[in-house]
Amino acid sequence: MHVKVKEKFQVSPPMVFFIIHAMQVGVGMLGFQRIIAKSSGYDSWIPVIIAGVVISLVIRMMYYILKVNHNDVIEVHRNLFGKWLGGLLSLALILYFYMTGVLVLRTYIEVIQVWVFEDLPTWVLTVLAAGFVYYVIKGGFRTVVGLCVAGVFIPSILFFILLMPLEYADFLNFLPIWKHSLKDILAGAKDTTLTFIGFELLLLFYPFIKHGYRSHKWAQLGHWASVVVYTLLMIVTLAFFSEGQLKITIWPTLTLLKIIEFPFIERFEYLGISLWLIIVVPNIVTAFWGASRGLKRLFSIKQRYVVLFMVLTLIIVVPPIDNRQAVNTLNEWVNQIGFWVIIAYIPFLCAVQFIHSKWKRKNET
Amino acid sequence: MKFLRRKQQFYAASPRSKNVSEWLAALSQNNEDFIKKVLQTPFGNLTFWYYNSLIDHERLNVDICKPLKSQPWKTAGDVERAVYVDNTEVTSDITVANDKLLSGFAACQLPDNKNEVLFINAPADVQREVSVPETEFSVIGPQESFVEKLETNIFLVRKRLPIEDLRIRKIGVGTLSKTETAILYIDGIADDENVQTVEQRIKEVQFDEVLGTNALAQMIQDHSMTVFPQFVNTERPDRVAASLAEGKVIFMTNGSPEAIVTPSTLVEFFTSLEDYYLPWYIASFVRVLRLFSFVFSVFATPVYVAVLTYHYELIPKDLLATIIASRSNIPFPPVLEALFLEFTIELLREAGARLPTKVGQTIGIVGGIVIGQASVEAGLTSNILLIVVALAALASFTAPVYQMGNTVRVIRFPFIIFAALFGAVGIALTLAFFLAHLIRLESIGRPYLSPFYPLRLADWKDTFVRLPYSTFTKRPTQMRPESKKRMSMAKADKEKDIDE
Repeated sequence: MHVKVKEKFQVSPPMVFFIIHAMQVGVGMLGFQRIIAKSSGYDSWIPVIIAGVVISLVIRMMYYILKVNHNDVIEVHRNLFGKWLGGLLSLALILYFYMTGVLVLRTYIEVIQVWVFEDLPTWVLTVLAAGFVYYVIKGGFRTVVGLCVAGVFIPSILFFILLMPLEYADFLNFLPIWKHSLKDILAGAKDTTLTFIGFELLLLFYPFIKHGYRSHKWAQLGHWASVVVYTLLMIVTLAFFSEGQLKITIWPTLTLLKIIEFPFIERFEYLGISLWLIIVVPNIVTAFWGASRGLKRLFSIKQRYVVLFMVLTLIIVVPPIDNRQAVNTLNEWVNQIGFWVIIAYIPFLCAVQFIHSKWKRKNET
Repeated sequence: MKFLRRKQQFYAASPRSKNVSEWLAALSQNNEDFIKKVLQTPFGNLTFWYYNSLIDHERLNVDICKPLKSQPWKTAGDVERAVYVDNTEVTSDITVANDKLLSGFAACQLPDNKNEVLFINAPADVQREVSVPETEFSVIGPQESFVEKLETNIFLVRKRLPIEDLRIRKIGVGTLSKTETAILYIDGIADDENVQTVEQRIKEVQFDEVLGTNALAQMIQDHSMTVFPQFVNTERPDRVAASLAEGKVIFMTNGSPEAIVTPSTLVEFFTSLEDYYLPWYIASFVRVLRLFSFVFSVFATPVYVAVLTYHYELIPKDLLATIIASRSNIPFPPVLEALFLEFTIELLREAGARLPTKVGQTIGIVGGIVIGQASVEAGLTSNILLIVVALAALASFTAPVYQMGNTVRVIRFPFIIFAALFGAVGIALTLAFFLAHLIRLESIGRPYLSPFYPLRLADWKDTFVRLPYSTFTKRPTQMRPESKKRMSMAKADKEKDIDE
């Protein structure tokens, strides 16, 4: 079942920059520093770069798989593993995408509940988000990508504002460089990969890119833009916090925003959290778009109905996750799965594809 | 429930007799402004039939009746040669005859011919003078605006673009009004697909009375569930000429002093023609100011509501004292206070727009000063909110295209309501919704948010700022122009050394 996407619905290769970057920068950015610093301390900026290099390689592998097949991962699964096993793998991947969407939504709602509205019930924001997600996905992939572009441009001013705490920075913290063992650094790198999760959706939206393979450099550029942003933010955080303080700060980025003052505005984190919605929205929407698209391709049902169904399940699935423990458990679960998808599954798929192509070529000659 | 559904009927013209002479006689019995006039000449009697209201009587007497009295005539051909009118036609077809009579022809019946009638053109011409643009006024630049007559409007455009490739296609729209609609484009620049889309959609309009250009625009627009206008409407011939040169397609109807520019983008609603007459740095400054005022106008009141309802902490201590002092006596929550003032402003604006100019000014003063001041003194609203709302209203007037001003008026309210419900998060949510909405919008199938999405960096030189003309080497890609280059930069590129 080879489905070619009409040119009218495709996006140009440079848009991949925005999708990848928007997917990687999300709700994780609010609190990734603490998790990495737990193992790598003041050397935490090194794991970010190491993880950046590793993921850059993973993106290269994904492009290899997609280039050979000229199609999305559902078709790849079917080609390599047959209808049943392939379908099962696709279904697992779709479930994973769905769960990332749920996770991002729930984590953002948690941030709002902790920082802004203590008594706001989860279901209120879930219902609003569900309606919004449905409206956006109904507009098609181009609308989803449009939100990614907006999600990169509009909040970009926040990144400059995040440089302002450098006023209180102490760069001597960093010295001596590399005082942790390689094991600690690698453990930090493992935790960093989690913040970069989201780019795997490329496996599904690849057919929506004009001249698909030409977008590779844009994907890499988008990824490296994220790496730069994360590294800079990490450096600002490490220069600002002491190691002990960082260990007990769940959302260091918001704490950084908190100390910024202008003559007419204080407590910048309220604005920051609100503007973060524009960053988070593309994450949620793209994840659900991917999941619904996957189901459409897998079972040949109308995406309209899938989205409607998915949005309705949101209202059932999200509100029961109602305390810090539950959110944390969900986070750890999805992050573990995400880590293995990136580090193990995609290389595995790449290897299988490589052997498959070799074998096929041999048989033909 | 079948008995509820009555059979609906369309309007159909009343039955006509086969013979032209009988038909004319029947017409004069039914319509009292349809007149029969017998002209006695030395060579025989001529009978004229015409709609009294559609005919220029001076022309009828001087150019038609007078020569027929002195020149000998015998056949229809003789009459045609005798009169001082070029546009004449002999016909026996009643449909043609009907159209002719209704567009200002006089029917002339010769004594011995009962089956054929000669039609002579002598239309009454009531027309406003070409005057100064009212809604798109500019301090410098041409001071002409369109009038209600299509021919004059086309003349105003043609005068600015004296090329044969300026093509005009005419379509009659409306089953009753048969409104004459002209589509204008430059062949070789405008994209054929755009021209076809506009033409196709206008042809498919099925409505009895098309009120005018703006009504027609609403019938052919891509999305009707939106508060954003999808086409720029303009009363300035210079704007039309400039748009045509960029590869846009224009349409206008007879009887409306406006033209519709398609496709349009969001940014265009914030450009005024004056931006192109002023030097580029001043134009850019004004444009940035206008965009800022758009943002301010939409967000000022919602931010006030959000901050004062939920986020007191945002305001620094010294400023907070001032705000609390002004709000301490007010019994309402910020959202009611804000809605009350916004409602007052909208009321004033609407009253001002409906009343004659001189009374309108009085209303503005009475409303603005008296009601505003009184409501503060009565303790219904705070001083600060009064300033915020008044500034926001002022800012919304800077939109150079009238429809966008209306949009700004309306979209403020969902923001205020969500700000009252969810504070700053509510504002961000509404913003995200409007972003998604704008991304989905299209204007005759071309993206509305271009050049931001899809990203077309080359077109950015005429968005937030207007760069100098020397940078406008290519036409904007939004319209997919068939020829892209506007000028050759070969000469300008040659770099000159100092003192050479």
